[in-house]
Amino acid sequence: MFLTNLWKRGIVVTLVIALLISVVGCTPKDSTTVDVEDNQEKENVVELAEENVDEEPVEEIRIVDHLGREIVLEKEAERLVSGYYITSSMLIALGLKDNVVGIEAKADTRPIYALTAPELLDLPNVGTAKEFNLEGTIGLEPDLVILPIRLKEAVESLEKLGINVIAVNPEDMDLLKETLAMIGEATGTMERAERLIAYYDGKTEEIEKLVADKERKRVYLGGNSDFLSTATSKMYQNYMIETAGGKNVAGDIDDTYWANISYEQLIAYNPDIIIIAPGASYTKEDVLNDSRLASINAIQNNEVYVMPGDVESWDSPVPSSILGTMWLTSILNGEDYPYDKFVDDAVSFYEDFYNITIDREVFSR
Amino acid sequence: MKEKKGIYQFIIGLMILGIAFILSITVGRYHISIEDFGKILLGRQVDATIKMVFFHLRLPRTIMVILGGMGLGIAGSIYQMIFKNPLATPDIMGVSSGANLGAAIAIIFFTGGSFVLGFTAFLGGLLAVFTAIGLTNLSRDKGISSIVLAGIVITSMAQGIIMMLKYFADPERQLAAIEFWSMGSFAGITLDKLLAVLPFFILGIIILFLLRWQINILSLSDDEGRSLGVNVTVIRTFAIIGSTLVVASIVSVTGLITFIGLMAPHIGRIIRKKNDFNTGIFSGIIGAIILIIADSLARSISSSEIPISILTTFIGAPYLAYLIVTQDRRL
Repeated sequence: MFLTNLWKRGIVVTLVIALLISVVGCTPKDSTTVDVEDNQEKENVVELAEENVDEEPVEEIRIVDHLGREIVLEKEAERLVSGYYITSSMLIALGLKDNVVGIEAKADTRPIYALTAPELLDLPNVGTAKEFNLEGTIGLEPDLVILPIRLKEAVESLEKLGINVIAVNPEDMDLLKETLAMIGEATGTMERAERLIAYYDGKTEEIEKLVADKERKRVYLGGNSDFLSTATSKMYQNYMIETAGGKNVAGDIDDTYWANISYEQLIAYNPDIIIIAPGASYTKEDVLNDSRLASINAIQNNEVYVMPGDVESWDSPVPSSILGTMWLTSILNGEDYPYDKFVDDAVSFYEDFYNITIDREVFSR
Repeated sequence: MKEKKGIYQFIIGLMILGIAFILSITVGRYHISIEDFGKILLGRQVDATIKMVFFHLRLPRTIMVILGGMGLGIAGSIYQMIFKNPLATPDIMGVSSGANLGAAIAIIFFTGGSFVLGFTAFLGGLLAVFTAIGLTNLSRDKGISSIVLAGIVITSMAQGIIMMLKYFADPERQLAAIEFWSMGSFAGITLDKLLAVLPFFILGIIILFLLRWQINILSLSDDEGRSLGVNVTVIRTFAIIGSTLVVASIVSVTGLITFIGLMAPHIGRIIRKKNDFNTGIFSGIIGAIILIIADSLARSISSSEIPISILTTFIGAPYLAYLIVTQDRRL
């Protein structure tokens, strides 16, 4: 008994010593690397300062990202990793698909890749927003990693390892344009990014003029997981409805996420038009045949539309999301912006920026 | 004298519930005027939309709330009796976790809408409990601790699978849908759903009611029960099955409702100072009152529905705290 206890103690003591040694063994190494990095950074700063003093043309690219961090690139980034579907789609739109060396997980659930850049689907994935694959990303030796701001921890870890990261937050039109500009700058594709931005601005202005003096129809947007979940005032979907000349009936709910409402509330809202989000788990027929909704204007006038999602879900701020606003405009103000005109515009958008010809039948209303 | 007091408690409880019911039925996002209520009550002609809202949405929802509160209160009370433990709830046999798992599976793999979801949640709840009962029967000692352990095993397995599903779920919609489901809501209750779960609810209540004397005996020690000629294991199993039917039929359409199953029986016992089947019924009334207040708030505070479990907790917990401090409780 005593002996076994002694054994156990011996093992514990050995383990503790081993642990201590490994900790001691690691710490100095780590701290030296950090020191070296720090010094390098300081040197960089000193160099930059000197250059500024000399007023020589600075070749570095400087970008301030959506976490307020400043990123300095020595040259245009070539090997790119995108951990976010919005920025991955952006890289395709900027003609950079051959430079991408890693993308986010579950890329096969988004049709835009298969349609425009199937080779991206074979690339190693760097994980999801829940589980980011730090080591896998480092192994790809990227010049630049683009991540959503919610992966702040991964951003910090990569930064410490000396890898350039831009953290982006494309949540609305302005932030989307900023993101495009950042990536355009970092990859030397500013011209194309500016062309996209100009397209957005041009179309938005056109639509705003078109709907300015029109009566605003009341729109209800059914969310994709549940018909009774709807877009609230601070969501991108709300911006789309308002821009397209509609009035979001749930716009009084001040929130940034889908809100659950009741049948009674929906009947009280009594919308003129019902829009179903792309990729919804229910169908237009489900809504039209729901006897409880029968009294609603939109149902009585058969004004229920499903936003197409077979290319990209336009209700999130993807680079092609302007098409969502345009599609909505054709629904709400069809006499001024007919649906056929919208399809023409959508087809030429994808031809211009994604180099693919989409069949007109893919779009629907 | 004591009997009389007991009857008064029931009468007062039912009166409060009746008032809460009337108030609750006038509250909602679709405005129904007092005149229209009068017309509905007198069976006169009203606007078709108002009629539809009242008979297909408002009334079924309010009835479901009462059934939900009663069912959870009674089931919780019976669990605390047969397990002789004031911390027991139907959750310990895995009914909630099983239903949660069923719902998560429906959210991720099926697209059939709320009826498929309700069906899989109901099946999940039943399956979890039957598996736990089966596991108990395989054990050598079929006593309470075996049941509880079997319940813990099934609950943790269900939770494990749920975590796995959540991990693979799309964070934007599926994960959010699973999370919202586990906070509970009566927003989606319609007449169809109420009628779909009603038979199972009634069946569960009938089973429990038929077993009322045996359940009273089970609250004594197992040996005493046996000496009174009660087959403890069989009765306990049937009481669990009855409670499970009740709870599963509720949560399959509402999502998880916390607090009522645990706290309503405590409140009931503290008021009645007894622990028998009638206290279980009384706990059901308490549960219904708490839930009806919670749901009236859930649907009227803002345009969006507030998950019910948030409100049950904030209404019930302070009241229980008050009772703990002020009342004598030796039960």
